[in-house]
Formats: sequence, C-alpha cells, structure tokens
Amino acid sequence: MKARATKLVRGAGILMLLLLISEPLRAQAAVALAGTITNQSGAAVPNAKISVKNVSTGQSTETQADAAGLYSFPNLLPGDYEVSASAEGFPTMVTKVTLTPEAQQRMNFTLRAVLSLGDLGFSSTQTQGSAQDQARLDKRSHMLKIHQRLGLIDTAPLVATVIAGAGAGGKQTSTSDRYLHLALGSVTGDLYFLSAYYAIRAPRIAGTQARGPIRLHKALAWIHGPGMILTPILGAMAFDQKSEGERVHGIAKAHGAVAIVTAGAYGAAILSVSFKW
Amino acid sequence: MNKKLLIALLFLAFPALAQTESQWVLAESTLTYHVSHPLHQTDGVSHAARGKGVCRSGQCDFLIAVPVKSFDSGDSNRDLHMLQATRGGEFPMVTVRTSLPQEASASASIYADLEIQFAGQTAKYKQVPFEQTKLGSDTKISGTIPATLSDFKIEPPSLLTVAVKNEIPVRVEMTWRKEK
Repeated sequence: MKARATKLVRGAGILMLLLLISEPLRAQAAVALAGTITNQSGAAVPNAKISVKNVSTGQSTETQADAAGLYSFPNLLPGDYEVSASAEGFPTMVTKVTLTPEAQQRMNFTLRAVLSLGDLGFSSTQTQGSAQDQARLDKRSHMLKIHQRLGLIDTAPLVATVIAGAGAGGKQTSTSDRYLHLALGSVTGDLYFLSAYYAIRAPRIAGTQARGPIRLHKALAWIHGPGMILTPILGAMAFDQKSEGERVHGIAKAHGAVAIVTAGAYGAAILSVSFKW
Repeated sequence: MNKKLLIALLFLAFPALAQTESQWVLAESTLTYHVSHPLHQTDGVSHAARGKGVCRSGQCDFLIAVPVKSFDSGDSNRDLHMLQATRGGEFPMVTVRTSLPQEASASASIYADLEIQFAGQTAKYKQVPFEQTKLGSDTKISGTIPATLSDFKIEPPSLLTVAVKNEIPVRVEMTWRKEK
C-alpha cells in the first residue's frame, strides 16, 4: 500500500516536471519570417542577401533571395531581431522586427538604388586608383623628405665654412685655419650632394607641371649646383697656393666670391619653399 | 458615375505624384580646403566636382565626387605631397553622399548629414549647415564641412619638421540646376 503511494507521488512529480519543462519549449516553438525584396519601381531584386540577428543572443543567420526576390527563414525563435537586406547597387537596409509566436511573419524590403561615380560621367580610369601609383607617390615624398632634412642640416656646416673662410684667406692665416675651412667645406659638399641625390632621384609624377615656389627653388639649383662644384675646385687651388707661401692668384681668387654666391643661392632656395610669398 | 471615376482617378494620381522623379545636376562648384601651418596658411581649390541628385517619393539622394588631384594650392610640390599624404594614388576620388527631403529645396538653410569617402576611409558629419539661395532656375548652396585629418586617418604632413593642424575645413560653394 505504502509502495503504491510512493509510486503515485513519484509519477505525479515526473508529470509536474514534464509540464514545467514543456511550457518554455512550447513558447520557443519555431516561427518563420519571409518576404520579398523589390526596388523602388516594384521589380524584384534577385539574389539579395538577407541576414537576421537575434538582439538578445547575438546569433546571426543569413539567406539569399531567389530570382523572384523571395526569401524565407523557416526556423527562427520568437524575439527581437535586426534584419538587414543588401544587394549589388543598393545600400544595405537595416530594420528591426519582433517575432511573435505566430506561424509565419512577413517583412518586405524596398531597396533604393544609389548613384554611382559612373552616373557622374567619371571613367573607370579616373576613379580606379592603384597601389603602384601610391607607392610611387610614397617613394617620391620619402626621398624629398630626406632631401629636405639633409638640406636643412647642411646649412650648419655651410655657415661654419663661410665663417671659417675669413680666417683661412687673407694675409693673417694659419695652416690649422685652412684645414678647418677645408674640413667644414668637405662636410658641406658631401651633405649637399647627398641631399641633391635624393631630389634628383625622386620619382617624377606623370602629367604634373611645376607651379609656384618650387619653380624658383629649382631655378636656384642651377646657381648653387654648379657653385658647389666650382667652389671646392677653386678652394683647392687657393689652398695649394697658400700652402706654397704664395698669394692666392689667378682664377683661384674667385673662390670667395663664388662661395658667397653659392651660399646665398642655397639659402634663398631653402627660404623659397619655407615661407609663403 | 463620373464622380466615382474622378475620385478613383484622384486616388490613383496621389501615389503617382509621390513617385515623381526629378533630378538635380551640379552646374558649377568651388571646393576649397584650408590647411594651417605656423609658416603657411594654404588653400587648395578645385572646380572639378561633379554631382547629381535624384528625387523619388519625396526624398532626394545626392552624390558629389571630385578627383583628389584636382585641388590646386598654387604649388605643384605641395599638391603632390597632399596627394601622397591623402593616399590619392590608391583612392583618387573624394565622394560625398547625402539624402534630403524634397521640401528642403524650399528653405533658406539646409542641415545635411554627409557621408564622405576620402583616403580610403568613410566619415560621417551630422547636421552640417548650408545656406541656400535661389538664382532663377539655379540653386546656390554654400557652407563649410568641418573635416579633420584624423577623421580620415591621415597623418598630418609636415614642413620643416612641423606638422600642419588637424583641422582642414572645406568651404563648399555649389550651383545646382534642376532637371526634369
């Protein structure tokens, strides 16, 4: 008798448990979401991509519309969803929907076409960039940055060379003054030609014409460039003449003047691209 | 009978009116970016923008595009440097998209939400104010887009090792013409 009662209680307990479990399961019964994707003139948009994201779980499912623009998600759980539809030539359209435990819900999308660069009359050659073009521009800028930095650094030994030149020339000179002038001049020349190398070797960009201050900057290079070659040659001649106890004579006498013109043109070239005028 | 027919026609006519398509075409434009540097205040100007607006169902979608290399600051070296810094070799166009209600064409001020693609990035600017004036069949729009270099992940270019300011406001002056 007691065993029978126990069985009865156990059976009732299992039944209660099953009832408790079945209630949320019934609430979680799958629902379907379906609809059509059309454009603004009402024509079907085939092969559009539709994705649904459950807002509470973050779970996403994706499907593709058929040729008639029909789509369907047959097994979704009731809840809040973010539905997005996208197709080529249309911007992605996102909307929210709450799925209730009904058998099927419908959601239609009307996609609005976007204007393209082709609609504005731009050709693909105008609108398509390339990694090579960018690499060329990057290389050019990189080399010109080095040119600029070396050029700026070079002003220090250049000024020092001009100042030291006052002690190296004239009657009151010493060997050490001349060697100091020579050393500073050599550093100036080396840095100058290194800087010039980066400017000359920087890639040219097709279809670009020089405009603005850069034209003066380049024109001045025709003065300080030859000057930077001529100055050390004349300097070497003057150095030899001085070292042999002679007065500086002949073409070597132009060393100082050529150096000053060169330094002036060099300074003007820097200023021409540094300040607006 | 005639009355019924008239009412039916009126009902049919309303959606047809709402669907009416009209187009706007950019007739003239001047776009000017401004760059600040301790040694320079530079303006780069372009007149090469093209634009179109399509109105359907009371909403107008606009697209304006301009080649990056069309901006002229008066110095070819600086323009090429700008082209490099803004990755203009890889992304040669700046595009601006906006959508406005059709009735916006009747007001003196427009507040537009802009989506700008530039240097391979997309930035959105909310409620940018523009002034609108009617000149015959043309509509003049002017305003300033508060763009910054960081919006497009552009490293500020430098001159004499000093970088330019992050702000590059773009002054916009456009003349739009309505086409049916």
